[in-house]
Amino acid sequence: MAVVDRNGPIADAWTRLADEEAVSKGASVIVSFARLKNEHNSLFSTAGAVGVEIPGDVNLDELEPFLPRLSVIVVRMATMRDGRAFSIGRLLRERYSYGADMRAVGDFIPDQILFLLRCGFTSFEVKDNFPIDSLKRSVAAYTAWYQRASDRATTVAELRQGANPNGGTS
Amino acid sequence: MAQAKPQNKILTANRLRNGETVYYTAAGEWSPYVSEARIATTAEDADALAKIGAAAYAANTVIDVAVIDVNPGAGAKPSHIREVIRATGPTVRVDLNKSVAPPQR
Amino acid sequence: MYIYDQFDHAITKERVAEFSQQVSRRLTGELSEEQFRPLRLMNGLYLQLHAYMLRVAIPYGTLSSKQLHKLADIAKKYDRDYAHFTTRQNIQYNWIKLDQVPDLLAELASVEMHANQTSGNCIRNVTADQFAGVAGDEIEDPRIISEVIRQWSTFHPEFSFLPRKFKIAVTGAPKDRAAIQYHDIGIHIVKNDAGETGYAIYVGGGMGRTPVVAPLIKPFVARADLLSYLEACLRVYNLHGRRDNIYKARIKILVRDLGPAEYARQVEEMWPMTRAAGVDVPAGEVARIAAFFAPPAYDKILEPVAAFTAAKAKYSAFARWVQTNVHPHKVPGYGAVTISLKPIGGIPGDASSAQMHAIADMADTYSLGEVRVTHVQNLVLPNVKQADLFAVWQRLGEIGFAEGNVGLITDIIACPGLDYCSLANARSIPIAQRLSQKFADLDRQHNIGPLQIKISGCINACGHHHAGHIGILGVDKAGVELYQLTLGGAGDETASIGQLLGPGFTSEDIVGAVDKLVNTYLDLREKPSETFLEAYRRVGPAPFKESLYGRR
Ligand code: HEM
Ligand code: SF4
Repeated sequence: MAVVDRNGPIADAWTRLADEEAVSKGASVIVSFARLKNEHNSLFSTAGAVGVEIPGDVNLDELEPFLPRLSVIVVRMATMRDGRAFSIGRLLRERYSYGADMRAVGDFIPDQILFLLRCGFTSFEVKDNFPIDSLKRSVAAYTAWYQRASDRATTVAELRQGANPNGGTS
Repeated sequence: MAQAKPQNKILTANRLRNGETVYYTAAGEWSPYVSEARIATTAEDADALAKIGAAAYAANTVIDVAVIDVNPGAGAKPSHIREVIRATGPTVRVDLNKSVAPPQR
Repeated sequence: MYIYDQFDHAITKERVAEFSQQVSRRLTGELSEEQFRPLRLMNGLYLQLHAYMLRVAIPYGTLSSKQLHKLADIAKKYDRDYAHFTTRQNIQYNWIKLDQVPDLLAELASVEMHANQTSGNCIRNVTADQFAGVAGDEIEDPRIISEVIRQWSTFHPEFSFLPRKFKIAVTGAPKDRAAIQYHDIGIHIVKNDAGETGYAIYVGGGMGRTPVVAPLIKPFVARADLLSYLEACLRVYNLHGRRDNIYKARIKILVRDLGPAEYARQVEEMWPMTRAAGVDVPAGEVARIAAFFAPPAYDKILEPVAAFTAAKAKYSAFARWVQTNVHPHKVPGYGAVTISLKPIGGIPGDASSAQMHAIADMADTYSLGEVRVTHVQNLVLPNVKQADLFAVWQRLGEIGFAEGNVGLITDIIACPGLDYCSLANARSIPIAQRLSQKFADLDRQHNIGPLQIKISGCINACGHHHAGHIGILGVDKAGVELYQLTLGGAGDETASIGQLLGPGFTSEDIVGAVDKLVNTYLDLREKPSETFLEAYRRVGPAPFKESLYGRR
């Protein structure tokens, strides 16, 4: 497994803990949502940084109390067609104002990373042979967007107001 | 009804590059003409065809791979109307249909 | 018509480049078929029985003559010289080669067209009333918000991997000509008590194996809030729609399982957030788009138009064609001509390159350069002067499209069925052809009056059989094509789902069975003006069942 962001491979500082594995003092750990709910007090006091992996059917209201202290949220896509992650990302960013790292893991392909980025994801856990060229091409595929998303990229409608205040055509 | 002999089968698919309907031949090639298809008369033969199909799919040569029934006898004639139409073309545009056999060379 | 600006052009070009490299990566094997399939579907590319099929979007059914010429050129260059107009205001090419798709898309882009989101589990091509902008009963031209929706939904980062396909339709008049209640979201343009124009939102309609007429979820959404409301509707669906069973994945199942009231409540809860996110486009942008749909420069014409009246008096066939195929225009002296793509014995919705070129030329000469596509697989010349109608009719006769049967029993919808479609159980087109031959006599057609026959080759219901006054569904029984009959469906503002009559008929017997249904109707109607649908709604299925299966 490797971790990438929009520019390519990045170092991964996180250790994934199975529910029965002990937490070492000061470590950066990713735990299951169940464990976070049960052991949040000891987790936050022992570990150096805490992350959680959530499934696609998560109830985000249950996650809300922990959000300010989480350093990464890992969202699992069951298959590349499991599009719930896109809405979860937007909710976390836009409704819950979550500001730290948000990571997608699962069977997505490079072409989907562009949309995941727009929905607030910042890093991606991928197979070692993930085609980095395709990733780079994909994230640069478009220079303008029609709609508002979590990345707050300027929309075409806004560009039009600036570029063509009178609404003329090119 | 129970069949005494196993159903005769052939291997068919569509070419990845252009979508053309093709059949796997005795010569180990993919032909557009159903009459050239290699006919499996035993269950083992049919399994062999399925394996060849899976390999060709994995090699990105063809998609929509299927082993289909043909009528008993020589010269592969698909049993099901879907495959009859697939072998020749739309019944409502016979002007666009292809023959089941290659043109005489 | 909407005209692309530099941004629309850039995005469309970037899309062609993106899909082209996806095709190359598929051909080299970097992408597997499982990975490529959703990508190609999102670009309207299917595999049918004989080849790939490409579905090109005709957003809200509006085409310029230049675009239609291009579609004809593409049919000649990349296909076998013809194409198929569909019930979703798209056009389909049946013999496409994957490695030629990038070039084809580049040609489409040159006339501001694309195949974006014409398939796949994303927001599909938005459809609208074919008489948008020319119908007298219109509250607002539905193409304005359709274009707003087209842009918002294009490459929507959140809603491109929905549980299932998502279809939105808009109608701008009390009379629903877009079958909105059979869509995942149907938008009815309405005026509220304060006289403001806004949108009534229906959610959760659809055909397929579980036909549902969409319930009203919100009676009035103000113009400025539409996109944030739609985004809330979609987000609730994306999060909670079923992904475990493809047959239960449409939003209609979610709305049914939650109940419309609970679904509406969840949308309301989500809405403030999508609103705050700034999803709605500024009023200036809507105004910019609306300006493209301002009425063209019509001549001032006094009715009656003498030449038109004289031609009708002289040629009864022409007068009859006018009666069925010319829709009243909001501007005096004009008419909207429906070109029937249903010649007797023909393939519903098919047109050759030559026919498309001819219609495009007619649009230039007679219709201010515009053509529309209807959800009944016909074309429309929306702006024809009454004085030109006779010339139009004659020219249509030369290309084989002067059938005066719009809305009559031979104006049949048929899906591609087993002649093309890899999901089909039975052929649809030959049934349509034989029915149209059976009922070819125009006197009889007029006597029968409005009657819609709709045929699907499998339960996916692409041929709208659930909404047919007479619906025909092809099934496969032990390798034999059988046809089931449903009665009483409707796709208009009185939408209803057709009811199955009984066991299916063979291909040989189905035409005779329909004939019996029609004769039964003729016998029992109270007066000639009582339509088939009205009569059926009055008497129910019993007499029709009896005519087919005898007394039980
Ligand atoms: C030939 C290739 C085609 C394929 C593989 C195909 C596939 C499908 C499938 C699988 C569905 C069912 C969706 C569901 O129930 O969730 C469907 C529905 C539909 N299709 Fe097609 N279709 C094809 C052609 C067409 C054509 C030619 C038309 C227009 C004439 C069309 C219009 C529709 C419509 C209107 C629906 C019903 C929408 C709904 O369920 O709400 N399709 N199609
Ligand atoms: S209704 Fe069935 S047969 Fe007809 S086009 Fe749709 S999927 Fe194919």
